[in-house]
Amino acid sequence: MLEMIKTLCSLSGISGREDEVRKYIISKIEGFCEYKIDNLGNIIAYKKGKNPAKNKVLIDAHMDEVGFIVTGVDRSGLVKFANVGGVDTKVFLGRSVTIGKNRILGVFGIKPIHLIDKDKEDVIPSSDELYIDIGASSRKEALEAVSPGDDICFEKDFIEFGDGFICSKAIDDRAGCAIMIDLIRSELEYDCVFSFSVQEEIGTRGAAASAFTAAPDYAIVVETTTAADICGTQDEDRVCVCGEGGAVSFMDRSTVYNPDLYRRALEIAREKGIKAQTKTRVAGGNDAGAIHKSRGGVKVVTVSVPTRYLHSPGCVCKYEDIISSRELIKALAEDMAQC
Amino acid sequence: MDFTQVKALLENLCSKGGVSGCENDAADEAAKLLGEFMPVTRDALGNVIGKKGTGDGIILDAHIDRIGLVVTAVKEGGFLKVAKAGGSDIRVLTGAKVTVHGKEDIFGIITSTPPHLAKDKDDKKAPSFDEISIDTGLSREEAEKLVSPGDRVTVRGSFLNLIGSRIASPCVDDRAGVAAILRCLQLLEGKETCPLEVMFSAQEETGGSGAMTGAFNFESGRAIGVDVTFATAPGVSEEKYGSLGDGALVGYAPSLDYEMSGELMSIAESKGIKAKPEVMGGRTGTNCDEIQTARGGIKTALLSIPIRNMHTCVEVCDLADIEAVASLMAEYVIERSKENA
Repeated sequence: MLEMIKTLCSLSGISGREDEVRKYIISKIEGFCEYKIDNLGNIIAYKKGKNPAKNKVLIDAHMDEVGFIVTGVDRSGLVKFANVGGVDTKVFLGRSVTIGKNRILGVFGIKPIHLIDKDKEDVIPSSDELYIDIGASSRKEALEAVSPGDDICFEKDFIEFGDGFICSKAIDDRAGCAIMIDLIRSELEYDCVFSFSVQEEIGTRGAAASAFTAAPDYAIVVETTTAADICGTQDEDRVCVCGEGGAVSFMDRSTVYNPDLYRRALEIAREKGIKAQTKTRVAGGNDAGAIHKSRGGVKVVTVSVPTRYLHSPGCVCKYEDIISSRELIKALAEDMAQC
Repeated sequence: MDFTQVKALLENLCSKGGVSGCENDAADEAAKLLGEFMPVTRDALGNVIGKKGTGDGIILDAHIDRIGLVVTAVKEGGFLKVAKAGGSDIRVLTGAKVTVHGKEDIFGIITSTPPHLAKDKDDKKAPSFDEISIDTGLSREEAEKLVSPGDRVTVRGSFLNLIGSRIASPCVDDRAGVAAILRCLQLLEGKETCPLEVMFSAQEETGGSGAMTGAFNFESGRAIGVDVTFATAPGVSEEKYGSLGDGALVGYAPSLDYEMSGELMSIAESKGIKAKPEVMGGRTGTNCDEIQTARGGIKTALLSIPIRNMHTCVEVCDLADIEAVASLMAEYVIERSKENA
């Protein structure tokens, strides 16, 4: 699965431009399930299990990643942009990106620290001041390379490091996509529906549509969530911890989870000896926000791979947490299908 | 124009470490490259010194060190605390991928606090150095085996080919200067010249101790320093600074030799090399400040290469400007050699 994650993370797919990711996923699930692509670009995949399911279970992960979009080019040939999804300026100043179909290279420029007043040395420039330098020396030269509306992604750079960690852009939520592909390619006990959803990062828009189409009784959202288990953070402030397995949510900014399902998920983990943990802070949101409100309501649970530095060019997670999340999701899906 | 030579030199030099005081692999590579033209030695502070001929000639200097970080402590969870080595810019450090030069090179990433945990802090402000650490993904025990306080850290970044002859990379400051001098020596190959003393100096980013001590051992009465300067960009005024593609920026400052600056400008004009004056009010903030007052004094000139985003890992420069500096330096050496003869 590691190779697959590496490939998935290297693909460009800001919200609304998931084409490359979709194409790759289809190449991986073709022949292992029936699937369709809906009007928004979601892949809805119907996987036959060994047995029919008593309850219809949907498993969801999103294909899109945070990034930027070209809004224009200034007189001197510098590219202006807007954020796509929530990206903190602090983590992208001085980083490199690729733009549009030809993946033109560019860098986020910044006024040199030497020319900044002493008392303003830690001030992050406002969004109006930001730009991407692609090396063009005029507007004309820049417009030969990029156009307004072109997508902008962090440059790909996948690294395995430390004690089983990986570092890359877009682990949010290509880790979830990889888990779902792996499940579709394996043999499942019960029938199951999968949604590879678009546009999560701009407000869970894809999942709203795919959940309507799938019309499930139960749903599992496969995500990544903030692990703040870094130097200087303690106890529940860490939200979740790398190496402790998938994080199960009881509540976040978009969903109040079904308490029975939340408890059941942790119980199943214990029974089966799968590492899992509680997400200890009410923060963030994901496709569950759209899915639990779909049609007449859906019981939803979220299992997230604990990930440091989310929404940055270098998200960090532990590979073993992806594996244990996969195990938990598989067991949960079986439980839901027959309960 | 073809910039193959200068690009090959720059890309090679930019791939090396060499944070101030630990110029190691960068200095080794620069020494190897310089060795193709003249005998090379290393002095007490780690300067790379090459000498061709003896007696009064010309000194060419560029600094080989780069800015970075230095490890101050190894903490629980394999996190490393760090301090600046040279003028590192905290605004571009959160979330940066780094290489820790420990017993072996290891990967790390600088921590960033997720927005929902930022306490009473203006989210428009970068953290302080005390608040960041390097995530090595190792346990404390494993980390301690590989990393010790004092080890240097460089920010990772690739050598990016932008449009035209522009590139982006870490440590263009001042590997561009080193590349310009090596390119100048390529251009002078096979030509009779006056004695040349070349220095790729250590510790410029931490105060210029390398140049100060290295220059003490020189015999020549004239020096040209090559460093980078600010290129116009949003917030960097066009009136005060040069622009990418302006060619060689010839320094004019009270601390520089006025006559040499003039000679460089007129040679540029007569040889059709792109050049433009860059005027500073006092000292230059480069090694030239140290070289000028070495021993009994050395006439000193400064050639600058304009770059954007100085002290980030995406320093942007135009290869044409490095080529122009190299050509101008070579023509100057040829002119002086005629006068010396």
